[in-house]
Parts: sequence; C-alpha cells; structure tokens
Amino acid sequence: MERYRKYFLNKLSWFLITFVCAFILNFILPRLMPGDPVAAIVSRMAQGMSNATGVQAIYQQYTELFGTNKPLLQQFFIYVNNVLHGNFGFSLSQYTRTVADVLGASIWWTICLQFPAIIVGWLIGNTLGALAAYRKGGFDKIIMPISIFVSNFPAFGMAIILLVIFGVGLKWFPTSGGYGFDLIPNFSWKFIWSVIVHYQLPFWSIVLISIGGQAIGMRSMSIYELNADYVKYARFMGIKDRKIIGYVFRNAMLPQITGLALSIGTMVGGALVAEIIFSYPGLGFTLLNGVMGQDYPLISASTLIITVMVLSANFIIEILYGIIDPRIKAAQAD
Amino acid sequence: MAKVMLEVKELTTKYITRFQENIYAVDHVSLKVEEGKSLGIAGESGCGKSTLALSLMGYYFPPLHYTSGEIIIDGRNISGMEPDDVRKSILGKEIAYIPQSAMNALNPTQKIIHFIEDVIHAHESHVTKKEIYERARKLFEILGLPESTLQKYPVELSGGMKQRTVIAISVLLSPKVLIADEPSSALDVTTQKMVIKMLRDLMEKKLIKSMIFITHELPLLYNVTDDIMVMYAGQIVEKGTAEQVVFDSIHPYARGLMGSIIVPEQGLRDVKLTAIPGVPPNLKNPPAGCQFAERCQYVRPECKAMSVNLRELKGGRAYRCILSEEELREAYQNG
Repeated sequence: MERYRKYFLNKLSWFLITFVCAFILNFILPRLMPGDPVAAIVSRMAQGMSNATGVQAIYQQYTELFGTNKPLLQQFFIYVNNVLHGNFGFSLSQYTRTVADVLGASIWWTICLQFPAIIVGWLIGNTLGALAAYRKGGFDKIIMPISIFVSNFPAFGMAIILLVIFGVGLKWFPTSGGYGFDLIPNFSWKFIWSVIVHYQLPFWSIVLISIGGQAIGMRSMSIYELNADYVKYARFMGIKDRKIIGYVFRNAMLPQITGLALSIGTMVGGALVAEIIFSYPGLGFTLLNGVMGQDYPLISASTLIITVMVLSANFIIEILYGIIDPRIKAAQAD
Repeated sequence: MAKVMLEVKELTTKYITRFQENIYAVDHVSLKVEEGKSLGIAGESGCGKSTLALSLMGYYFPPLHYTSGEIIIDGRNISGMEPDDVRKSILGKEIAYIPQSAMNALNPTQKIIHFIEDVIHAHESHVTKKEIYERARKLFEILGLPESTLQKYPVELSGGMKQRTVIAISVLLSPKVLIADEPSSALDVTTQKMVIKMLRDLMEKKLIKSMIFITHELPLLYNVTDDIMVMYAGQIVEKGTAEQVVFDSIHPYARGLMGSIIVPEQGLRDVKLTAIPGVPPNLKNPPAGCQFAERCQYVRPECKAMSVNLRELKGGRAYRCILSEEELREAYQNG
C-alpha cells in the first residue's frame, strides 16, 4: 500500500506540473495572435460616431476594463487571481456576456452530443470487433473491410457525406443548428422534437467514425487473447465456452478502456469538426467563434476546460487501471 | 491384474491446414496405461508428442480433427461421444491436462481461487464457494503449496509456483489420467526437480490414478515413469519399460535420442555425444516406407520400399523396423 501511495503521489505531481505548464500556454498563446480585439469592439460600439476623441475615450475605457493596457506578466497574475476566484472575465467577441455565461450555455450541448456518441460508438465498435474475432469466416470478412474503410474517413468527410445525403438530398434531417431557428429554448414537445431531429446527423457522424477504429482494435486484441494458452487450458479443464469468452473479452477490453477514457477526455476538441460543420451550438463551435473574434478570455477558458478534461482522464485511467488489471498493479508497485 | 485406466486403440488424428492438406500427426497409435502406472512419451520436436496429448483427451477443435481409433478411459469409450458431453463429463474430471507452457496457462486477470471455482462449477453445479475454498485449501496443503496462493493473481507467482499451481488445479477433481505435456521443459533444473517430485507425489498420494508424461528428454523419463514410448513422425517406434528403452533400446531412433543427450547415470557417462543427422520428415508428404529411413545409418534399400509395422515382442515390448532384433544388435556391435 505504501508503494501504491508513492505511485499515486508521483502521478499526482506530474498531473500538477503538466497542468501548470498547460495553463501558462493557454494564457499566452491566444494573446500572441496579431490584431487588437478591443479595437473591434470599439468600432462596433462607436458605429456612426465621428468624434475621434470620443472614440479614443471609449477605447481607453475598454482597455482599462479588460486590462489589455497592462504588461502581459501583470495581466497573467490578474488572470490567475480571477480564475482562482472562479471568474473568467468578459467575452470580448460577445461583450456584455461573461465567459462563464457563454461556456455555460454551450458546454451542455457538447457533452450531450459527444458523451452518448462516444459511448455508443465504443459499444457498437467493440461488440462488432469481438464478434468478428469470435465468429471469423464470412462475418469477419464483411465487418473488417467496412471497418477499415469507415475508420479511415476524416471526421469532416463523414459529416459532409451525411449532411449531403440525409440533409440536402433526402431532406430527412435539418442541416444545421441545435434546434429550429424559429424556436426559443423551452420545455415544449415541439422544441424537444426539434432538438432530437437536429441531434441525429452530428451524432451519427461521430458514432460512425469511432465504430471502425474500435472494431479493428477490439478484433485484433480478441484474436490475440483467443489464442492465448489460458484459453486452451481452460477448455481442457472442461470449462464452458461462454465462461471462457468472458475471460477473453474482459482481457481484450482492457486496452480499449484506455481508448474510451482518452476519447472522453479529448471530447471537446474532438467535437470541433462535427459542431462546426453542423453549426451545432456546442463548445467546439464557440471555440471557433472565439478564435475568429480574437476572444482571448474565451479561448483561454475553453482550452482550459480541454486541458483539465484530458489531464483528468489520463490521471483517472492511470489510477484505475491498476485496479482493473493486476499486471499493471504489480508493475506499478515496483 | 491391475485395472486399465486408459486404453487407446489405433488412434489417428490429423490437422487440416487452410489449404485443405491433411497432416497425420498421430498415426495409428495404440497404448495402455494401468492404474498406478505412468507412461512416458519421448521424441524430438515436431514428431507428434503434443498432438498425441491433445488427441488423447477426445476433444478436438480445428485445425485438429479426429480420424479413427478408440479412446477408452476406465472402461468407458469416449471416442463416439458428443463434444459437449466430453467437455462436461470427461475433461478435467476423468482426464486432465498440464499444458506445455504453464507460464501462460492461467488467465492473468483472475485470482487463482476464482479459476478453481470455475473449474469445479463446470462439473459440479451445486457446490458453494466455501466448500470449494475448503477443498482447494486442503489440496494445496497436501501438495505443499501455501494457502495464500489461492488469493493471488498469476502475475504475483514465480514461474515454478505457477507451474505447481497449474498442476494442483489439474488434479482438483482427482482425474483418472493426468497428461503432462513437457511440464518441466521451461523451468530451471532446480524447479524441474521440484515439479517432477510433485508429479510423483500425486501418484503416491493417489490424487491421480495414472499419468502420461511427455518430454523430449528421454533420460529424464527413466526417473519419472514406469514405461516409455518413443514417437517419430506421428508413429510409435519403440515401446517398453523405462529400463529397457533407456538402457537397451532396439530402434535406431531411440538409440540416437539416448546418444544425443548428456547423461550423468553410471555406465552412460562416458558415451560420446552423437547427434542424429537431418530433421523429421514433412508430414504433409510423408515418405513411403520407413519414416526414419532418410536419417538412419543402418538403412537398407528395402526400407524405403515398403511400410514398416510395429513388431511386438514379449512383455509388451515393441519396435518398428524391418530388421529383426538380432540383426539390429549385430549392426550396433559393429558400429
């Protein structure tokens, strides 16, 4: 246990070090972009104003407000202090809304789109892969080429194909947005139905992409495990096939669990393509808007969410893996 | 006369490759093991020893297929049985197996005791976990294995411990026949000795009724088994007691096997090591006539012309050669 604690602390300190580095980069990199976002806001605010000193005064006021007139290092400490108090500041591109407000509105769209899509894709992919390995023959010969074909599609390719076929061609599903443009979010049946209909294309574009890769991975892991010596021995001890398959798939599943945790961790970044193509109002779409509008606080906060999710996913796998797989635990204790 | 535990009559099994070629890796093998006795099977790699071990269990899965012959365990013919019945009522219970690589024979993510539960539940459905634990604990105690092993994962055991644990699990249900397929060849000499002592213990303590021990080290068998059978290219080439086969082999191949291994035994210590030239024949296209003819130094033209039958001598001894015992002995005398 003492050794395990040491392992845990070791992992935790790496987690913190990585977090601090990523945090600093998240702050600096967006601010190194050329251009002045405050000027963009001012020009929006000061539309129709001809008085140059007036414009200048507004500009002064906003740089004061956003703190962009201070040196970068000082801005950094103000930012750290604010973040520690849970304050991510104003969004520059959607000024008067705070970053927390913008992200709070979009993050649920992403989670509700990505999380089920990843889980469904993972489950279908692994089941198909396991079946292909176990049944072999014709089933395998059909599943494998399709999986390889589908998994090699770029994410945007799959999204556009679905969009063209089902959105534009067959007109079964709407082509963009999270819900109908003519609706205001509420709990009416009409709105919920609209959300469900808008959900389908982005959802399946993500699911289809992930099925292929998962199926290929699971198939090869399962084939490896099915030929392991313990399978033969268990058979010769008279244990039923159903039980042995249980052993095999549990063992084949272990590396796949890492994959699942990682894709949950990278879900926000992964959502980007599908969300942009379908103009889905999630975090990825918001991040894109942030980048277009040079919205530093929004970019920093979004990337901070991505950082925290990826790091936590990795950290949790490292800690949990020892519990699921005794071999890793033995190696960890050394 | 002692009861016959395992009797095999003219068993033939083949591998079917994916190009639909038939490879007869076990070719008309007959053998008999009596209660309390052990039989050793020797031969170099690729001569069908392990395939024979798999074939003896009466449970075949591709690419191995049953062709003909009978397997009778304690008076019960299992050759015609449904595979599912064989699995439920024969495997593990009547005939048990110790695999060649016990290192990987246990599921890495399962505790030993949980595997034991699965093994027992496969044959006896109404046993509680507590009873199983008690049984396993007793067996481990008899075999001198620490009780704590039960709660461990295979990775937490050393190589020798893993091998001994596998042996203990194999004999859980007191099988009538135990087939040990090179159980000691992956181990260092000290551990080997421990494993062999354990196998002998099993016989002495009546945990198993008979044993078949497979190895490529013919001299090792002298210390382990009562009888020895030498296999070559899927066939039996010599059969006899351990004493006879090790010290007084008739067949040139058995002699060659003995001559190619360092033996510390008295009387054999000074013999010069000689290798058998060549490799076993490809069983896809077995040669006509004697399978060993290509490598035999006493070969005659007629060896390659006709197939050679096993010659039965008195006392259960047998060898496969066209030459008579006297002719062979004379040839050995003249070098």
